[in-house]
Amino acid sequence: MGLSFFIFLSSGLFLGWSLGASDASNIFGTAVGTKMVKFRTAAIIASVFIVLGAVSAGDGTTQTLGQLGSINTLPGAFMTALAAALTIYWMVELSMPISTSQAIVGAIIGWNFFASKPTDPAVLTKIAATWVMCPVLAGAFAVMLYYLVKKIIRVSHLHLIRQDCYLRVGLILAGAFGAYALGANNIANVMGVFVPASPLQSFILPWGWELNATQVLFLIGGLAISCGVITYSHKVINTVGNGVMKMSPLMAFVVVIAQSLVLFLFASTELQEFLHSNGLPAFPLVPVSSSQAVIGAVMGIGIYKGGRDINWQLIVKIAMSWVATPLVAAVVCYVSLFFLQNVFALEVFR
Amino acid sequence: MFHVNFSLFSQTKALENKIDMFHDKLLDAAMTFKKAVAVYLEQKRSDDFKKISKQIKQIEHDADNLRREIENNLYSQNLIPDLRADVLQLVENLDRVINKFDEVVYKFYAEQPEIANEYHSRIKELCSLSADCAENMAKASRAFFRNVSSVRDYSQKVYFIEHESDLSSRKLTEAIFDSDLPLANKLQLNGFVTDIADIADTAEDFIDELLIFTIKRDI
Repeated sequence: MGLSFFIFLSSGLFLGWSLGASDASNIFGTAVGTKMVKFRTAAIIASVFIVLGAVSAGDGTTQTLGQLGSINTLPGAFMTALAAALTIYWMVELSMPISTSQAIVGAIIGWNFFASKPTDPAVLTKIAATWVMCPVLAGAFAVMLYYLVKKIIRVSHLHLIRQDCYLRVGLILAGAFGAYALGANNIANVMGVFVPASPLQSFILPWGWELNATQVLFLIGGLAISCGVITYSHKVINTVGNGVMKMSPLMAFVVVIAQSLVLFLFASTELQEFLHSNGLPAFPLVPVSSSQAVIGAVMGIGIYKGGRDINWQLIVKIAMSWVATPLVAAVVCYVSLFFLQNVFALEVFR
Repeated sequence: MFHVNFSLFSQTKALENKIDMFHDKLLDAAMTFKKAVAVYLEQKRSDDFKKISKQIKQIEHDADNLRREIENNLYSQNLIPDLRADVLQLVENLDRVINKFDEVVYKFYAEQPEIANEYHSRIKELCSLSADCAENMAKASRAFFRNVSSVRDYSQKVYFIEHESDLSSRKLTEAIFDSDLPLANKLQLNGFVTDIADIADTAEDFIDELLIFTIKRDI
């Protein structure tokens, strides 16, 4: 392992940085934007829990991406991650509700085509189904939580000032959970393609906790996401708030919890095993979009309140992005791999 | 961070108490006002009336101090950032009602109007309606902080009582100008009637605003 590894890893690190910069606003956007939580507090909590989630629970979603396509060279992984990053940049320019998960899945399929490797339709269907399930489930959770929170506030007769105090603590805890779920679910997008070709070895931390080779890779990816949170998310929060609409801190609390629950359900191996062992249908471990989960949650509440707040244009855009993002990413990846192989004479697959 | 959170809890409790005490001051002011006018009608500017005037002045002074502390705490501790402007406006407007009670009592003290016995019961009734209006306004405001669902109940009472106070003040004004009193007396008495009825009007304006803030509080 030398400098070349980190050069090839750079596209994944960039992807991680941009994920941290943009998705932190889904977790702490309203809390920081409404000055309920200081940015410094939010950034530290988000960074720590993203890394924790990535290292301790990022394995499940990575295995699913691995089933879709196991990219077996570093240049191939580099270009796959870069193609996803370029697609995200392009789709953001077109104001599409972009998902890193959809971009990386498209890029992997592009690599599969280029390397003439088969794409398992069952895995692809499983992944695509979760993209639809993600906002729907987030909407359902948001409605239940919204009802519950309203009920609690009505029954408890808490003073407004005390509500504010509890809400601050709640926003911090929800943000920590959200960051953990984001790290666990989305690390596969950032580092998943590098796992098969990674030359990293297992590593023992000073306090005796041993990280296997994949966890070391996830630690690096998690730090890249945290770097995005610390260096750039403040600007994103200031310019676009939570990215969807202006929310009250209480509504933001409900939305963050709903979004985090969805990300956690689609990332937790333990939960999957628990459901399996009890004969219940388990959720597939698939990286999903936190932004689309937030949109689903906000719209769920909108529908519950009478449907006046539904932004149909946004729903159409999301549905379009389910198709357009992977398609564009696959084409960009295919063309880029051709370029890398024939211009730089690098081995992009074995 | 834990230190910050613990201090946040204690600051929250202290501010909660101040807001409750501020509402208590408004209720005290309303009751003292009723008593002051009743004493004036019986005894004019007697020692008892002077004592009650001082009491209401003290209530107004304490309420001013509490208002400043509440405003200062809300800003310095960065509490309820999304509702802070609304709460500040509510507190300012509550204070305006307390000030009005003090102003009317002071007006009785300073001007010492001559009020014939035939008007006593009607003036007492008008004072009672205005004070009730302010009391229900204070209850509605307290409910805004603790139990939003009952804001409407108290608001409805304020609207009803304000309407009654309007009717009462009009009848009194008509009676005053139909009487044989000298014009100067008529104008002076009418000024008092207007000022007393204005307390109920201010309470009604406050409730209009409070209902909008209540809708905003609904997530």
